[in-house]
Amino acid sequence: MRTIDKVKLLNYKRFSSFEVSFSPDINLLIGDNEAGKSSILTAMELVVGGSKNKVELLGLESLFSTSVITEFLAGEKRVEDLPCLHIELHLNEQGNPDLFGRNNLDGVQANGLQLICEPSEELTSEIKQVLEKESGNFPFEYYSIRFLTFSGEAYTGYRKFLRYLALDSSQINSEYATKEYIKTVYESIVEHPVRVNLQNEYRQQKINFKDNNLAVVNDALDDYQFAVRSGYKSNLETDLTITEDDVPIEHRGKGRQCFIKTEFALRRYREEQRLDILLLEEPENHLSHTNMKRLIQRISESQAKQLFIATHSSLISTRLDLRNSVLLNSSSPEAVLLNDLPEDTSRFFMKAPDNNVLEFVLSSKVILVEGDAEYILIDAIYSNVTGSTLEADDVHVISVGGTSFKRYLDLAKFLNIRTAVVRDNDGDHQANCIESYEEYEGDNIQVFFDKDDANSTFEICLYALNQVICDELFSPGRRKLTPLGYMLKNKADCAFRLRDEKADQLISPEYIRQALAWINE
Amino acid sequence: MDKRVIFSVAGSGKTSYIIDGLEESSRALVVTYTDKNALNLRVRVFRKFGYIPAGIKIYTYYRFLYSFCCKPILGHEIPSKGITWELPPRFAKKTSIEHYVDASRRLYGNRIAKLLDVAGVFPELIERIEKYFDYIYIDEVQDFAGNDFNLLCRLAEADVQQLLVGDFFQHTFDTSRDGNVNGNLHDDYSTYKAKFVEAGFVVDSDLLSHSYRCSPTVCAFVSENLGIDIQSHRADETEVTLIECREHANRIFNCCETVKLFYQASNRYDGFTENWGATKGQNCYEDVCVVLNPSTFKLFQESALKKLAPQTKNKLYVACTRANRHLFFVPEAMYKQHRK
Repeated sequence: MRTIDKVKLLNYKRFSSFEVSFSPDINLLIGDNEAGKSSILTAMELVVGGSKNKVELLGLESLFSTSVITEFLAGEKRVEDLPCLHIELHLNEQGNPDLFGRNNLDGVQANGLQLICEPSEELTSEIKQVLEKESGNFPFEYYSIRFLTFSGEAYTGYRKFLRYLALDSSQINSEYATKEYIKTVYESIVEHPVRVNLQNEYRQQKINFKDNNLAVVNDALDDYQFAVRSGYKSNLETDLTITEDDVPIEHRGKGRQCFIKTEFALRRYREEQRLDILLLEEPENHLSHTNMKRLIQRISESQAKQLFIATHSSLISTRLDLRNSVLLNSSSPEAVLLNDLPEDTSRFFMKAPDNNVLEFVLSSKVILVEGDAEYILIDAIYSNVTGSTLEADDVHVISVGGTSFKRYLDLAKFLNIRTAVVRDNDGDHQANCIESYEEYEGDNIQVFFDKDDANSTFEICLYALNQVICDELFSPGRRKLTPLGYMLKNKADCAFRLRDEKADQLISPEYIRQALAWINE
Repeated sequence: MDKRVIFSVAGSGKTSYIIDGLEESSRALVVTYTDKNALNLRVRVFRKFGYIPAGIKIYTYYRFLYSFCCKPILGHEIPSKGITWELPPRFAKKTSIEHYVDASRRLYGNRIAKLLDVAGVFPELIERIEKYFDYIYIDEVQDFAGNDFNLLCRLAEADVQQLLVGDFFQHTFDTSRDGNVNGNLHDDYSTYKAKFVEAGFVVDSDLLSHSYRCSPTVCAFVSENLGIDIQSHRADETEVTLIECREHANRIFNCCETVKLFYQASNRYDGFTENWGATKGQNCYEDVCVVLNPSTFKLFQESALKKLAPQTKNKLYVACTRANRHLFFVPEAMYKQHRK
């Protein structure tokens, strides 16, 4: 099995210097927009593909780190200080001396491939002229593009050190992408000699068709005849498509196409079938909830392939084991691996109801509340207390439901997320709110609760402070239940009505007030 | 681990001996000096297995030296852009980079082996070899000279099975030369052998002492006239003739099946011709016509070919032993009119 162990980037896109290790099976790249998830997939694709053409197509301008370029142009602009771009893929042991050596950024013995873009030495004097001009002109055109193994040998895409397939669901309808997809899958399923043979047969069939069927037309003609096109642009591999129930995939809906393509690529038909790496870009796109669940099932069962999945979906990241996640953050240059997360926590999120883990993981400030009532009311309370809004202060609120606070706190502790837990004391604040969280409380984690055991729930606290509006809303037409009794029986409904009709009059319980103040400290 | 140098005679099947040792699952490093030989080995391996097994790597010596040994290990520290065959500067110190690399960052071919030594990376090289190979085969070992011979001796440290084959008397050129480094290496056969013993090799001169290619007649001629010991596996008699008739000589010249071997500048003659030295490792000739230049012809007539300069004598030995069947000698003067 051939896998990518590590990616190292220098002056590439938003990464001026970056390195991340991968696991040999599933890797989930998670992060908010602009965190560089797709950039990393592109980086891997470029190096494994070994195609200069592809690099040129994307343009060095878009590949180079803009901050490094700006910094260079603002400085003395010396030729010897021109930045170089490196993308390095460290591979597992392949038993191939051509891949092994010290030609890499750190000069360490390793197996690997790399893309290097550096100023072309032959053009040094021309570069100097460009730089001497008083302008923000960066000499991208004077850069050379090289693909080298760590043994120092140049390579091109013809040498397949790794077989890969990249699926980008945002390009699912592109004719080019579909063609590339079909070609790659076909090559990975059908052995070379068989392909050559089929290719040859196909051409023969075309000739036969001309001789037998087109003869009717051609017999009436003399010098000029009709024939069936054959060659580089029209051969078996350009004409192939993939069908399901006799319908070609390109005629399927986007969602189905995404599903079929991913599923088909994940399958393994023969032992020696060679697809080492599958790069999936946001596979959740276009997929319904049920299809997504089916796809996740398929992905988790796939074997003997290294998967890289860039995703925004909590469902995908939790169900495929959070420990496979690589967290990228646009505000930080470092990637965080979740592989050291406690196993029972990650198993919990795998089985827990659909949740907002990704939202949690990607936040810097989070308030965890116990139930729907708190969740519904917290933004109103937040505005009343702080005069600001949750969105403006970048505070996320997550309703965790019951007692699973600790699972989230495991994550919070691991990722150093500032987390306020807002919970009921359930009649015993010492046991429920203090002792229970001893191992978690710290600079970034605090539990907030009402210290009076009589105020056992949120509703009791709320009613005590907002008796007038609660009575107004919940007493008319009710004989059996007191307003508070009604509130306790219909928590979410009451919260919604309070939110809807009395939002600006609500007075916050003291412990929530404290939580809101602490989270923004 | 068996580490062995086998000294063979021409046509005794040393390449076959290497190929026979290879298996489909072998992890073997095969090094030879010339492109022609590397191609020949590749063809033989291909014929044996129907493809080139992934574990069998066939390198020409300089590709091995540069791409396998030097670049992967020193490429990061001493970036280079290839090899130059220019002579290194005479006064650059051994410890200075100019001693090994020219201004455009090309390595001096004759000092790459020395660079590996001075940079102290032999241990890493040995590790690298042990990591990828269980066997080392080196063909035409007699051509290793200068710093390259030192590298060869150091490779003996690798804990893998090693088989070096060569023919001392087919030493017609050197992998490289560097001043007087190993300058006297090829002066004496027995001291030469002793060097290998010192490096830890077993030297075997018996296993491949009989030629399959050459008949007893050709072998006897070479043994007697050149003083190079060679015996034959065969029992058939073939011709060894000096052609003194101009008409016969012309007939041979025009024959497209008999190769005409010249001491040098064979390209100045039309037809099926080649230089003595360039035929080393070739096994595709039936009858061979060795063309003798005036000075060699003189010694030939005096039966004193032994007095030839060693390099020339070795080349003549190579030329004579190309013959699968008849061996003809023609004085160069007879071919004057064919010269372009």
